[in-house]
Amino acid sequence: MINLIEPFKIAFKSLISNKLRSILTTLGVIIGVAAVITLVSMGEGAKSYIMNQIGSWGVGSNSLTIHPGKENSHSIELTMTYEDAVALRQKVRNLQYLMPEFVGRGRLVYGKMEYKPGYTLGVSADYPFAYKQKAVEGRFFSAAEDSGRKRVAVIGKTVARKIFGESSPIGENIKINGVGFKVIGRLEEKGTMLTYDMDDMVLIPSTLSELVLGTNKIWEMFITVNNDNQVPQAIQEIKKTLIARHRKEDFHIHTQQGMIDIVNNILNAMTGIVSAIAAISLLVGGIGIMNIMLVAVTERTREIGIRKAIGAKGRDIFLQFVFESVLITMSGAFIGILTGTLAAWGIMSYLKLEAVIAWGAVYLACLVAFLVGTFFGVYPAMRASKLDPVEALRFEV
Amino acid sequence: MSDKTVVRITDVKRTYYMGKVEVNALCGINLNITKGEFVSIMGPSGCGKSTLMHIVGCLDRPTSGHVHLDEVDVDELDDNSLAEIRNKKVGFVFQTFNLLPKLNAIENVELPLIYAGVGFDQRRKKSAELLEIVGLSDRIYHKPTELSGGQSQRVAIARSLSNDPSIILADEPTGNLDSKSGDEIIHLFQELNARGITLIIVTHDQEIANHSKRIVRLKDGLIISDEKVK
Repeated sequence: MINLIEPFKIAFKSLISNKLRSILTTLGVIIGVAAVITLVSMGEGAKSYIMNQIGSWGVGSNSLTIHPGKENSHSIELTMTYEDAVALRQKVRNLQYLMPEFVGRGRLVYGKMEYKPGYTLGVSADYPFAYKQKAVEGRFFSAAEDSGRKRVAVIGKTVARKIFGESSPIGENIKINGVGFKVIGRLEEKGTMLTYDMDDMVLIPSTLSELVLGTNKIWEMFITVNNDNQVPQAIQEIKKTLIARHRKEDFHIHTQQGMIDIVNNILNAMTGIVSAIAAISLLVGGIGIMNIMLVAVTERTREIGIRKAIGAKGRDIFLQFVFESVLITMSGAFIGILTGTLAAWGIMSYLKLEAVIAWGAVYLACLVAFLVGTFFGVYPAMRASKLDPVEALRFEV
Repeated sequence: MSDKTVVRITDVKRTYYMGKVEVNALCGINLNITKGEFVSIMGPSGCGKSTLMHIVGCLDRPTSGHVHLDEVDVDELDDNSLAEIRNKKVGFVFQTFNLLPKLNAIENVELPLIYAGVGFDQRRKKSAELLEIVGLSDRIYHKPTELSGGQSQRVAIARSLSNDPSIILADEPTGNLDSKSGDEIIHLFQELNARGITLIIVTHDQEIANHSKRIVRLKDGLIISDEKVK
């Protein structure tokens, strides 16, 4: 019968009576684990933040965006036009939403009031669905109003507050860059993203972009298809259509999944580096533990002799020392997890982001600490268990 | 008193090496000890007293010859079984007490019970009783550093009794004590012997040996005399 509880208790008592040394011994493990937990928790927090942002913009992995210029080119020449958007709407099968985005600055005038919002965008009637941002007051313009070049505008909350204060903007007439518009809706509040005020904008029908914003070039085009697995086919059709129209590939396509993959790749690379650092620190920590355990075995030779004289078997002594080493590493891991989580939480709340506890990393840290403690504890424990009782009793410190 | 033999040692020799020098610590010892005896082993330093104690107590094995404890031939046993014998059949008392400094009195006394697999409640009860027998019921939770030499040795004696061993082996139990404490320890041994406990003590001190019932003298690894105390 092997009793594991008693050797465990003995090991625990021995650690408690040597608190400072135990903590110093396991410092390497504490630092390694804390570093990993901090960085992984922050990484997870950043990831969930980025994913949330992506999710709040797009509708998921069935969406893609078309950007002017070649992939990775630094050219800012806009190559797509409203006619391209019309062509795509005809050629791409399973199309759900299509939204060209014309970007410019507009000067708003309402009576004597004048205001320049962050952006004035020409968009299609699909905007509220594509970007998941509805009109909460009034309504959004329809596809018919878009194609019919109706002078209707939908404004963000910041713009509404700046121009109309507390009173309702709906039905009011304003001028944008000198062109008269009727405000028909106010957008749902989006808040700020990376310090940019998402509510400081005005939306007008895409067909009026040239008249109002002086551009007929699309900044980017947002497309969704009915189903995730129709994305590759849609990409083929987009390429075919646009190349046929432009006679060259002067655009590139980003998929939602592609963006997620990029974020994941960056974070995984970071996690990899952190893990490598952690592995080194745990290795060094483990060697430190082994060293201290060897010293402890020598120091406690007499104790081992006494225990053997009163009936401890080699196995009892072995377990006592292995448990000590495992306990010391595990408590190091525990302290590391605690401080790492606290540090991540502190840093992230300073950055006004949310830390996510990386449970995977927590479990892994516990497992690795357990293995390190066992591995580096076995040799000293074997030395202890094999001591000759007569010689051990004669040992003077 | 029963004549049951507790220890039977037959032609035991023990040779060890200090560096390359061969030391014959025991050169053929024959000794029988029956239940209820109180034996002193005397002799000059280096005569083999301690080696003999270690062999009787199963801490060490003879180079040749046989040791029977409670009629069990211990030569046949492996290290784990020897550990069990040390745990259950033998109680050691050392000159330097050999208590574990980080444990208090009762925790020291219960150590052999832990290795015997006795549960917490039972071993606490037993250990408290033993501390009462050695007269330390008021020092149960004191650490060894908070105890005098005499008190420490009493704790050690309580510890040696915890598994109701067949024999108590005491190696110079009064060697580190002042004469008053030493006398008290010897009286405690006499009391224990009166309760039927078999005792062997190693000592230099004729005074102390005179309190036992039988004196065995060793010289150069051989028994040179073995007589009853009058």
